[in-house]
Amino acid sequence: MSGVFLLQQLLNGISFGALLFLIASGFTLVFGLMRISNLAHGAFYLVGAYLAVVTVAATHSFWLGLLVGAVAAAVVGLGLERGLLRRVRGREMPEVLLTVGVLFVIADLVLWIFGGDPKSVNSGNGAPSGALVIGDFTYPQYRLFIIGVTLVIGVALFLAQRYSKFGAIVRAGVDNREAASALGIDIDRVFTWVFVLGAALAGIAGAIGSGLLSLSPTSGTEMLLYAMVVVIVGGLGSITGAAVGAVLIGLIDAFTKVLFPEFAYFTIFAPMGLVLVFRPQGLFGRAA
Amino acid sequence: MSARTAVVKWTVIAALVAVAFVLPYVLGSYYVSLLSIALVAAILASSINVLAGNAGLVSLGHAGIAAAAGYGLAWAYRQGWDLWGQLGMALLMTVVASVLYGLISMRTRGISFLMVTLAAGMIVYGIAYRWSSVTGGTNGLPGIRRPAGIAEYWQFYFLVLLAFLIVTIALIVVGRSSFGLTLKGIRDSETRMVSLGYNVPLYKFGAMLVSGAVAGIAGVLAVWHSEFISPVAAGFQESAMSMIMVALGGIGTVLGPLVGAGLVVAFQHMLSSVFERWQTLLGVLFILSVIFAPQGIVGGVSDLVRRIRRRSGTPPREVLAVQFHPDPQHRDTSRKDK
Repeated sequence: MSGVFLLQQLLNGISFGALLFLIASGFTLVFGLMRISNLAHGAFYLVGAYLAVVTVAATHSFWLGLLVGAVAAAVVGLGLERGLLRRVRGREMPEVLLTVGVLFVIADLVLWIFGGDPKSVNSGNGAPSGALVIGDFTYPQYRLFIIGVTLVIGVALFLAQRYSKFGAIVRAGVDNREAASALGIDIDRVFTWVFVLGAALAGIAGAIGSGLLSLSPTSGTEMLLYAMVVVIVGGLGSITGAAVGAVLIGLIDAFTKVLFPEFAYFTIFAPMGLVLVFRPQGLFGRAA
Repeated sequence: MSARTAVVKWTVIAALVAVAFVLPYVLGSYYVSLLSIALVAAILASSINVLAGNAGLVSLGHAGIAAAAGYGLAWAYRQGWDLWGQLGMALLMTVVASVLYGLISMRTRGISFLMVTLAAGMIVYGIAYRWSSVTGGTNGLPGIRRPAGIAEYWQFYFLVLLAFLIVTIALIVVGRSSFGLTLKGIRDSETRMVSLGYNVPLYKFGAMLVSGAVAGIAGVLAVWHSEFISPVAAGFQESAMSMIMVALGGIGTVLGPLVGAGLVVAFQHMLSSVFERWQTLLGVLFILSVIFAPQGIVGGVSDLVRRIRRRSGTPPREVLAVQFHPDPQHRDTSRKDK
């Protein structure tokens, strides 16, 4: 394996990991605060991705597509949280079942509206395209762009959680929901905003991801599964865990696709199995 | 339960079973084979129900176990093995899959269990999809003929009906055994069972083996029905559909899986010819049932029956309850928990 090839695979892994982080961070944020395993997160990815595809095709602006995808996913998230989840708040199973139902409905509606054929965002249109060439080394700029966008979002999330007032409120809610609401924090409103933020992150992931991976109505469940593996490995509720887990799974995925193509899909589950057996709370999770 | 209600209950059950045995003589082949599909789906749903109802563990990956059994049977068939060899292979695959599921899920509960079983199902799906030299990849393994004796659609129906009855009775027995009661204890308070000295992960592992065995039966019957298996059989869609059947029918009820399976199969095969978006409709129905009838159709109906009976005449048990809790406010709150 030459150095250039190794570097390319490394970047492939990191860029896919970056995409996984965008999805997994919203999932884990919602879980950490609200204790909801939101399987409809895959549906948010779908909504963001399809609306971005349509918007970019119509307006030839990648950034507008990204915005529309994120906002649409956030709106669907708002509807789900306010309209449905609120009715079963605090009851673990009904909450999960509800999100399964929503995933089902949205995947079917997407199939109805957009058809089953694979789609992708038109390249260019304001987003980086083409290849970066440095001597022997060539690499698609779009993948580097994904890494950059994710770094910006990840750092912003980290800073917001650490230093902003809203971040402090969210951390208080994660640590002790009752105490936080006893101190006069409107925890219901915090729930809604975090849920909407998670949905928007999934929508952004969808918009960006549809330029990298092919998009079909089953993409939602596929990406949901990756996100779940990431958060199981990283630890439910931990943003740091999501980041480490995402890069780890991204790298494993990239290298096994080259080394053992027959088992590429299977190998991302091996670390998950190991974590479940030896450290069930995940690498960065707290003991239940 | 009073003696009169017991008589009524057993008469109804006997009548239903009798009707089920008469149906193939009355209905056409299409409807009989639809009934077979529903019963096979009900067996798979029962395997999820035994975990959900007793141990409170809701699985989103049981189609994977069924598919493992189905692939075992189909592979052995195509190797030219005899019936016992095929069934032996199906059994082996069922055990392997159940042990895998059990090992990675036995230390989890609630949402984690759901996510881990979902991932386990996707592992099976991934293997079925990628290991094409053995599984046939996307194309699957076609042409798996049913053995002589159940080759005709009505013969197969009787086999499936019998399997469903045996499984249902066996699961009732398991639920009432000390094993089943221990699982209920774990469901209600895991920490209490741990401090009482029960090896909770071992019990969960055991429950997964029981449930996996039932799922394996469903898997073999499903392959025999369609004479074909492909990775779709292990997919998320399949697992989620089975879980929806259980939740729609009523988690922990005896008839829930059958009612849920019947409803979903009717949607899938009959409504779909009239209305293409049956899946959206099913999803909406499911969402509504989670919000408004959390105990499912069977749970909701039996609740209703109880309420009507309470109004028309007071059975002895209710009188006792009133005597112990004369405060009506108290009585009401205790009802709400049920």
